[in-house]
Amino acid sequence: MIRILRAWMILVAASAASVFLAMGVPSAIWLGAALIGLALLKARVILSDYLDLYRAPRVRAGIMLGFVIWALVLCALLAAG
Amino acid sequence: MPQDRTAPAVGADVQLPHDLMIWVLIVSELLVFCAGLWGFSAVRISDRAGFADAAAYLHPLRAGLGTMILVSSGALAAVGALRMQRRYLLGAALVGAGFLMVKFYEWRDLAAAQISTETHPFFTFYYLLTGFHAAHVVAGMVILAVVAARRRPAEVDAGVAFWHMVDLVWVLLFPVIYLVSA
Amino acid sequence: MKYQTQKIALAYFVVAMALFAVQVTLGLVMGWIYVDGNFLTEILPFNIARMLHTNSLIVWLLVGFFGAAYYLIPEESEREIHSTKLAYLQLAILVVGTVGVVLTYFFNLFEGNFLLGKEGREFLEQPKWVKAGIVVAALIFLYNISMTVLKGRKTAITNIMLLGLWGIALLFLFAFYNPSNLALDKQYWWYVVHLWVEGTWELVMAGILGFLMLKLTGVDREVVEKWLYVIVATALFSGILGTGHHYYWIGTPGYWQWIGSIFSALEVVPFFGMMAFAFVMVWKGRRDHANKAALLWSLGCATLAFFGAGVWGFLHTLHGINYYTHGTQITAAHGHLAFYGAYVALNLAIITYAMPVLRGRDPYNQVLNMASFWLMSGGMLFMTFTLTFAGTVQTHLQRVNGEGFMDVQDQLWIFFVMRFGSGVAVVLGAILFIYAVMVPRREVINPGPVVQDAAE
Ligand code: HEM
Ligand code: HEM
Ligand SMILES: [Fe+2]
Repeated sequence: MIRILRAWMILVAASAASVFLAMGVPSAIWLGAALIGLALLKARVILSDYLDLYRAPRVRAGIMLGFVIWALVLCALLAAG
Repeated sequence: MPQDRTAPAVGADVQLPHDLMIWVLIVSELLVFCAGLWGFSAVRISDRAGFADAAAYLHPLRAGLGTMILVSSGALAAVGALRMQRRYLLGAALVGAGFLMVKFYEWRDLAAAQISTETHPFFTFYYLLTGFHAAHVVAGMVILAVVAARRRPAEVDAGVAFWHMVDLVWVLLFPVIYLVSA
Repeated sequence: MKYQTQKIALAYFVVAMALFAVQVTLGLVMGWIYVDGNFLTEILPFNIARMLHTNSLIVWLLVGFFGAAYYLIPEESEREIHSTKLAYLQLAILVVGTVGVVLTYFFNLFEGNFLLGKEGREFLEQPKWVKAGIVVAALIFLYNISMTVLKGRKTAITNIMLLGLWGIALLFLFAFYNPSNLALDKQYWWYVVHLWVEGTWELVMAGILGFLMLKLTGVDREVVEKWLYVIVATALFSGILGTGHHYYWIGTPGYWQWIGSIFSALEVVPFFGMMAFAFVMVWKGRRDHANKAALLWSLGCATLAFFGAGVWGFLHTLHGINYYTHGTQITAAHGHLAFYGAYVALNLAIITYAMPVLRGRDPYNQVLNMASFWLMSGGMLFMTFTLTFAGTVQTHLQRVNGEGFMDVQDQLWIFFVMRFGSGVAVVLGAILFIYAVMVPRREVINPGPVVQDAAE
């Protein structure tokens, strides 16, 4: 219960932070990376606490590795654009 | 190989919460959406300015609100699965409908501006990815309603996992489509 | 043989192998037409030979599937087949239809006739009356099999086989719908062609392969079932929207390029899964089954399917690449290795496994049969390579440099000669296979004495 509540608060806060970054901060090279980083944080929270992967840390680590690789390629593509 | 023997074994040496098949589905969906976002970012290289102009038709704030609604619904579903209580599961589905409302306003505005899938590559991806996602939201609401009505533990578990997958996909789509290009 | 009605499979397998011989022989004839364009122009024009080659392929593969189902369903559901008579009636209908097709194509009978004349859609050229016959045969089959399964034990294998076979029959109904708008025509045509080989047939493949692994390796049923469910789920997840890889250039909206590219790229997963499944089962298996040839064909099937469908499919499935390779010899290379690996080898595997049982003998002639595997598969691989090279050259000359189609074909001549050569190997392999399972009554090559401890 507490775990879910905490996860929910992190998710809402991270979403608000994303919007604030995108709207309130002048465009900068690191901005895209920061937004993707926040997305990864949210993904990890959902995997851990909504999908209960806190009970299977190795599986979570495997999926997160996939996400990180995905995000690195994505950032490279965004930076090239 | 180190093994943790606290939970019943699924597969060779991994203990997995939820049914294996729901994970097969989650990973498959993630592969599709992640590949789509790669495609989006790759095509953007060829037309950076066009993507920025197109993204200006979207409203980050509104999308952010949608994100918060969706993750809140996810929390309700998680509680519903934990307590096996109908009202939380149905509440999650209801809040999911709130997300769809936000989507509806967004699409209505775009349609009013005569924007279709063929208007610009940005919108091809936009409609494909958010449309596929919204279809999953609808499916998830139906699933939640059904498992809430029947309240069988295995079904509730799988249905709620599906609903979390919908969250998971959205938190990846949201920054890439709504925030980064603008 | 545990159940008497499994015997039905024998008749189906014999018909399948006869058509197999016809099919590859016609391939060889076409292979020569590619080398000498005037060969048989009057008697057997290329387009007719092509129809016969591809249609007999589809028909014999389906007949083989039916036979496989009649063989394995009784063992799985622990019941005799509901009706033997119906099963033979179904085969008779299929044979009459096939003969009708051959005569209609060859003599071009009733040209333009709504009911009796051939129809001009690749793979679906059969006259309407034959199509109707196929539907009737399929209904008889489904009735027969479903009744058997409903009365008996339900296993993952019977479930998957039923799902696949029902899907095959239902999708075939789109063969009757032929809109005059060419784009729509193509759109529906793929509902049959693509959703067959990259959807429902894959389920049948998973079912038969699962059965063979169960029998040949002795791995626990639960393990086999878990693999099968994952394979089936990924096949359907990717294969259905994967149809989009045929909707790139036919006038369908642009978003199909992305749907098709992404989902069809994932179609590699189930084929990889099937290969991993087969090898892991053999690795884990404790049973030393006498029928080594059946095991060779099963592993060969899973492996070549992965390469033919998975790798050669992926090769040209992204729309940026397909823009150049669409409809070149690359497609033919993929079509041959995919069909051969996934479905020809699958049928030959179950035939190799079942024939000794059906004929009440020990699995003799392992060596001949295994030799036929290497000859046929080697020939097919070589054919795939030559066609891939031909297709690469063709893509460059025709699609990049913009040369004319026939000028390019002339320059590919040497590849077509090599394709013919590899085709000879395939046909010889096919004949050897049929001989090995049908004719000899004793071992042709005596096995050596069994060595108890290899270290001595
Ligand atoms: C079991 C073996 C075989 C299978 C599964 C098979 C399968 C096929 C398929 C699916 C097609 C249609 C391809 C497409 O639409 O792109 C085809 C066409 C063809 N096959 Fe085969 N075939 C086999 C054996 C052979 C052999 C031995 C030859 C002899 C060289 C051959 C020569 C051809 C030719 C020349 C075509 C026509 C290609 C064209 O239209 O350009 N095939 N075959
Ligand atoms: C056992 C499974 C498969 C079989 C039997 C098969 C067979 C074929 C055949 C016969 C064609 C030619 C159709 C025509 O006449 O135009 C074809 C086309 C095609 N196949 Fe497959 N295929 C299989 C699996 C796959 C997979 C898994 C992929 C993708 C990863 C794939 C990608 C394609 C593509 C992109 C085309 C269109 C080629 C073109 O544009 O000319 N196939 N396939
Ligand atoms: Fe296809």
